[in-house]
Amino acid sequence: MKTRNIELILTPPAPHMVGDGFRVHNFIPGYRLNMQRMSPFIMLDYNSKFYFPPTDKPRGVSVHPHRGFETVTIAYHGKVAHHDSAGNSGVIAEGDVQWMTAASGVLHKEYHEKEYSKQGGDFQMVQLWVNLPAKDKMSKPQYQEITNASINKYTLPGNNGVIEVIAGQYEDAKGTASTFTPVHLQNAKLNKGAVVPFTFPAGYNTALLVIEGSIRVNGEEKAPADNFVVFKNDGETFTIEALENAVVLVLSGEPINEPIAAHGPFVMNTREEIVQAFNDVNMGKFGYLEE
Amino acid sequence: MLEKFKDYLRVKAGLTDEQFTAISGKLKTRKIAKGTILLRQGEVCHHSFFVSSGLLRSYTIDTAGKEHIIQFAPENWMITDRSSNYFNEPSELFIDAIEDTEFILVTNEFIDAAACSSQSFQRYDNRALHNHIRHLQSRVSLLLGATAEQRYLDFIKLYTELTLRIPQWMIASYLGITPESLSRVRKELAHKNFKPY
Repeated sequence: MKTRNIELILTPPAPHMVGDGFRVHNFIPGYRLNMQRMSPFIMLDYNSKFYFPPTDKPRGVSVHPHRGFETVTIAYHGKVAHHDSAGNSGVIAEGDVQWMTAASGVLHKEYHEKEYSKQGGDFQMVQLWVNLPAKDKMSKPQYQEITNASINKYTLPGNNGVIEVIAGQYEDAKGTASTFTPVHLQNAKLNKGAVVPFTFPAGYNTALLVIEGSIRVNGEEKAPADNFVVFKNDGETFTIEALENAVVLVLSGEPINEPIAAHGPFVMNTREEIVQAFNDVNMGKFGYLEE
Repeated sequence: MLEKFKDYLRVKAGLTDEQFTAISGKLKTRKIAKGTILLRQGEVCHHSFFVSSGLLRSYTIDTAGKEHIIQFAPENWMITDRSSNYFNEPSELFIDAIEDTEFILVTNEFIDAAACSSQSFQRYDNRALHNHIRHLQSRVSLLLGATAEQRYLDFIKLYTELTLRIPQWMIASYLGITPESLSRVRKELAHKNFKPY
């Protein structure tokens, strides 16, 4: 199998606030990557570790819709509470993942969980949007609440760490998240000195986000914490070496080669479908949710 | 930034690129931060503003200090106080930016020069004036006699994509209803139209 080489390493762009609760670096779509290039990963916002002081009024993002894709929230530090217009609610805590299939339409809000807000503390999360193929964009919304305990883990030999498989597969560990197109999403929690191989089909768009520590890829280029490593599609296999204890989010997915029409919280295939989404939200077809 | 306005006038007013270029020196481009005030009550308005990106609004403030929104102007919209500008009288309106905004300051000299060089522009300008009157008549009639739901339905037809950019209280202010009434209207629409999954 051929080596998959690095295309570019992005340092975190200047952060911006989403609502008042998420201080994010936007990597996709960003100044170097558009939605098609990283498909099926069409948006990646990274809240690098940031201390939020205590408050009685939880910070967050007020009511907003989504249609046409899935939002995947991966919590490393801090807790987020969410509510939607169909009456669902829950808390995403450290180590947990929420995989929300917005599909035909969800109206929701996301705030720091009450107790976490009162105490304050470090906050570190990824929100990833995974596109849906045209045929599934208007399917039924659903949630997969993936607690850390339920994530299948592959223990690396030689005390090198573990791979938490959220979706897809690493060796014999399979992710429990069900996906509409082939997606691998894994947290590699590596001990210093570990050199770990990853193999995905060359055509899959593939990237790494260094959450903690620093790494060397393919024995060559180094990437420190909060950097985003984008691979070429020129081979199947690459290695991550942990230069210190490290946590790395590994993403690899089969591109969805369909037209993209995106506007704010809607990602569809045509401009007409975007207008339809606005009309449907305005007419209450996504339901109602108190601010 | 001028390109957008050139495209707009080509499509809407039939002004050719050559005609536009000959008089575009009479236009100015500006970039302003959210919250910047472009016109204050009591000042005379001497221009129109063409929004190339961002969002402007016009509003009045009543004696109790409450804001009443008259118009929103997102990308490719023009906003001004026509009467202050035409009659050279102090304006009753404020105009400010709800988002960081890039706009073109359209001077009266530009409008006059465009009208001199293009009959098609004259027709456009006349039509724009009558369209404005039509819109104001409809606003008056809705504010006097329509239910909150009818006003909201009219708003989302005109400003389909603004509902996600503008805070609730501003939409309510434009509609002449309380934010609570707006919530009630939206709740009732959802009750009629939402099919829970």
